[in-house]
Amino acid sequence: MNNEWQGFKKGNWCKKIDVRDFIVRNYTPYLGDKSFLSGPTARTSEIKAKVDDLLVKEAEKGVLDVDTENVASILSFAPGYIDKEKDIIVGLQTDAPLKRAINPFAGKRMSEKACDAYGYKMSDKIKTEFKYRTTHNDGVFRVYTDEMRAARHVGVITGLPDAYARGRIIGDYRRIALYGMDYLIECKKADKKELGKNDMSAENIQLMEDVQKQLEFMEQLKQMAAQYGCDISRPAANAKEAVQWLYFGYLGAVKEQNGAANSIGRISTFLDIYFERDLKNGTLTEEGAQEIIDDLVLKLRLVRHLRTPEYNDLFAGDPTWVTTSEGGMCEDGRPMVTKNCFRILQTLYNLGSSAEPNITVLWAQKLPQGFKDFCAQVSIDTDSIQYENDDVMRPAFGDDYAIACCVSAMKEGKQMQFFGARCNLAKVLLMALNGGKDEIYGIQVAPAGKVFDEGVLNYDEVLKAYKKYMKWMAKLYVNTLNIIHYMHDKYAYERLMMSLHDTHVERLMAFGICGLSVLADSLSAIKYAKVKAVKDERGIITDFVTEGDFPKYGNDDDRVDAIAKWIVESFYKELVKTPTYRGAKHTLSILTITSNVVYGKKTGSTPDGRKRGEPFAPGANPMHGRDCEGALASLNSVAKLDYGCCRDGISNTFSITPDTLGENEQDRISKLTAMLDGYFIQDAHHLNVNVLHRQKLIDAMNNPALYPNLTIRVSGYAVNFNKLNKNQQQEVINRTFHEKF
Amino acid sequence: MTDKQPTANIHSFESLATLDGKGIRYGIFFVGCPFRCVYCHNPDTWSGEGKRYTVDELVKKIVRYKPYFGKDGGVTLSGGEVLVQSAFAAKLEKKLAKEGIGVALDTSGGVPLTDDVKDALSHAEMVILDLKFWDDEHYVRYCNGSISTVLDTLEFCEQKNVPVWIRTVMVPGINDKKECIDKYAETVRGYKCVKRYQLLAFHTMGFSKYEKLGIKNPLEGTPALDRKRLDELQAYLDAKEITNE
Repeated sequence: MNNEWQGFKKGNWCKKIDVRDFIVRNYTPYLGDKSFLSGPTARTSEIKAKVDDLLVKEAEKGVLDVDTENVASILSFAPGYIDKEKDIIVGLQTDAPLKRAINPFAGKRMSEKACDAYGYKMSDKIKTEFKYRTTHNDGVFRVYTDEMRAARHVGVITGLPDAYARGRIIGDYRRIALYGMDYLIECKKADKKELGKNDMSAENIQLMEDVQKQLEFMEQLKQMAAQYGCDISRPAANAKEAVQWLYFGYLGAVKEQNGAANSIGRISTFLDIYFERDLKNGTLTEEGAQEIIDDLVLKLRLVRHLRTPEYNDLFAGDPTWVTTSEGGMCEDGRPMVTKNCFRILQTLYNLGSSAEPNITVLWAQKLPQGFKDFCAQVSIDTDSIQYENDDVMRPAFGDDYAIACCVSAMKEGKQMQFFGARCNLAKVLLMALNGGKDEIYGIQVAPAGKVFDEGVLNYDEVLKAYKKYMKWMAKLYVNTLNIIHYMHDKYAYERLMMSLHDTHVERLMAFGICGLSVLADSLSAIKYAKVKAVKDERGIITDFVTEGDFPKYGNDDDRVDAIAKWIVESFYKELVKTPTYRGAKHTLSILTITSNVVYGKKTGSTPDGRKRGEPFAPGANPMHGRDCEGALASLNSVAKLDYGCCRDGISNTFSITPDTLGENEQDRISKLTAMLDGYFIQDAHHLNVNVLHRQKLIDAMNNPALYPNLTIRVSGYAVNFNKLNKNQQQEVINRTFHEKF
Repeated sequence: MTDKQPTANIHSFESLATLDGKGIRYGIFFVGCPFRCVYCHNPDTWSGEGKRYTVDELVKKIVRYKPYFGKDGGVTLSGGEVLVQSAFAAKLEKKLAKEGIGVALDTSGGVPLTDDVKDALSHAEMVILDLKFWDDEHYVRYCNGSISTVLDTLEFCEQKNVPVWIRTVMVPGINDKKECIDKYAETVRGYKCVKRYQLLAFHTMGFSKYEKLGIKNPLEGTPALDRKRLDELQAYLDAKEITNE
């Protein structure tokens, strides 16, 4: 037994890589309240002030600095520090805080454009290096069919990771702390040897090459840590080392990869075992424990990638989705809440509110009340955290899953995801009415079919046409993603992240829907009111006249909620009919990030009364202004969507004014926890919570300098309000605020 | 079949009512009110035809919110004046009791104590009683009503041990003075059923409704009551220790 494991309960984890077994045998549930927590130390406040200065400078310029000479990788940059003497947890992506690296592996044009946008020039050195190199983007466009290009062009599928890295992969960074790199390398070598005994099919050859790539980067990670004076070949020996080892793994991953979302995993409870051991030994105090967590979180807040302005339209606010996963229940019935879960939340007080890391609470009915209350308080005070229902995820993913990005659950180290952005089902409806033509561009995108006449639309006929085009969409969407992920594996494989997964990893392919509420309300209007189609001079249906009222999604009205449910379930059924690359399991999300604004822009008028160009509702939210029976009616509608066919998550954002939530702080906390319990007991999946005044957002839009840290929750993540563009800010303000007069 | 069941005239629903009783409340706003208070913020509920619902239809809607109620929450019937439709309210309370859902009545006390009103009051888990003023003179001037039915309602709750929260809206220039608070306090002093006395700040967010309805707004130009002033008045009232919780 390793010396570093002194005091830990032994088990299967000592014989093979099994982090869950280590956690379950050794963690100490914490059932109390927040009273044990410590504030920031003088050192923490001093370092934080330095970071704040840099953030102000960054906000002025958009990006603080770009290294235009070196291509991002694990060993491309000399060690970087915020304060070399005072950093507790060390390591930055480049040699200086907030300096961004160029990462052209997924697409070099994107990198060049990003440099240009901020007044930098990609160096000739990098240009030459990539002149003869195929990027992921090159590969994809070699194979895309005309139909795929057309669908992408008109925006019926958008945001595809075909010019940027896919992300949404969580390396099990905990393995480095628990086992040290040498043991992990040894295991990978043994796996490769085993694969060598198989017949050399294309699949087997590919996997063997993958493992070899992983091994090369595992060695590089050891070197990177050595540059910071740390020997991660062995396991971590104490709490500080455990955090540092784990962070090195994450840091290596974000040096190598600029995927959209690079989440850090379910780390708090794992790390708490080390903290508890040190606290018991007397080698650590609570103040010291909090200081380590504060310093880790400060580092996580500095993660940056170089993006283009177009990218920002889809994923606004420069997000990196360093998602953490807090709480949840163990399969043996004990809560997995530990003091470290509290400490992570406490960083929002010690360091101020922030969009990153994307702190996610795995809510369960049986979580200790002290933890529920503290989470609610943090939501009310900071608007920085989100909630996901552990009681629906645990049966599907066990008790050692983590959230990637916003709402994507995956078993840590055992599952990875092929991210698939989303398709626009509201637009598919318009295509169905126009016989496969796009309503904006007027070009034929889908196979030609029946073109509807002007005049009153018949529900059964519309539904029949929609189903036909929905089938077409599903097949095209799966095949497009198959190409993307084949090429991504080939040209931009995540070597380090995948080295921290089991070699025989389970793959998920995550499809997405946007425009759910628009489509549901549109079909409801056609069914329950009288909708007349109007054609333009091109003979394309571009407008609708609706007479009479119709049930609207968001009012707990089964007549339309059943339509929304059907849209999701039927689309998922169609998706699974087309096989996926590498045998990935199809999953589906209803999540838009901030792309609901862009999707709306690219979509013509719809039968629900929404006009051309107007934003969609985000995620699975009802359309703003249409829910008229209050917040819980809206939650009840969303709760009806079946997580069983939406295993990649159902995102819902909820905003309320403090005075509407309750009379005083204690009252607000108890009402918010009751609300979360009531929503999640109905098997709902996700909720973003904002408790703030609409007027505050309007002020912030007009006087951004007065609100430097105003953080709000948007579809599945948090953003600094000032980093949204005006359209996006306006859209957030227009969204239903539940307020009482 | 539903045609034969009695129906209520409903103005609207608020599925997340958090300030009208304990815990999370499902709020139902009934149409119709005997008073015409000058500072009313819901003039759109005074009269007219809302949407009609039977008891069963309402129960079906309400049970969907049971998961949120926990041990404290429930339904709050408000308005308008819910006791204008007291027979219906009583039926609804009894049906909800079978579902384990408690009902709070938010009333102005402006309706005479008929058997139906008594039935509704005695089946409420609590009553939120709006005390507009301390005497008939003011009730006549500002509400077009009388204090006698209000006091009868309070007295009935006292006899039946129905917990009561008193609420009074503080309107700048009308009743936002300490002398007024003294009178309010004396009006309810001695009632054991009074568990809480809460002052509310007059606000101007109901003004747009007057415009929309084309009704003259008698308080046009009156400012909202300052939050700090409200806190001062509440502290002054609390110091009198007239509540029993």
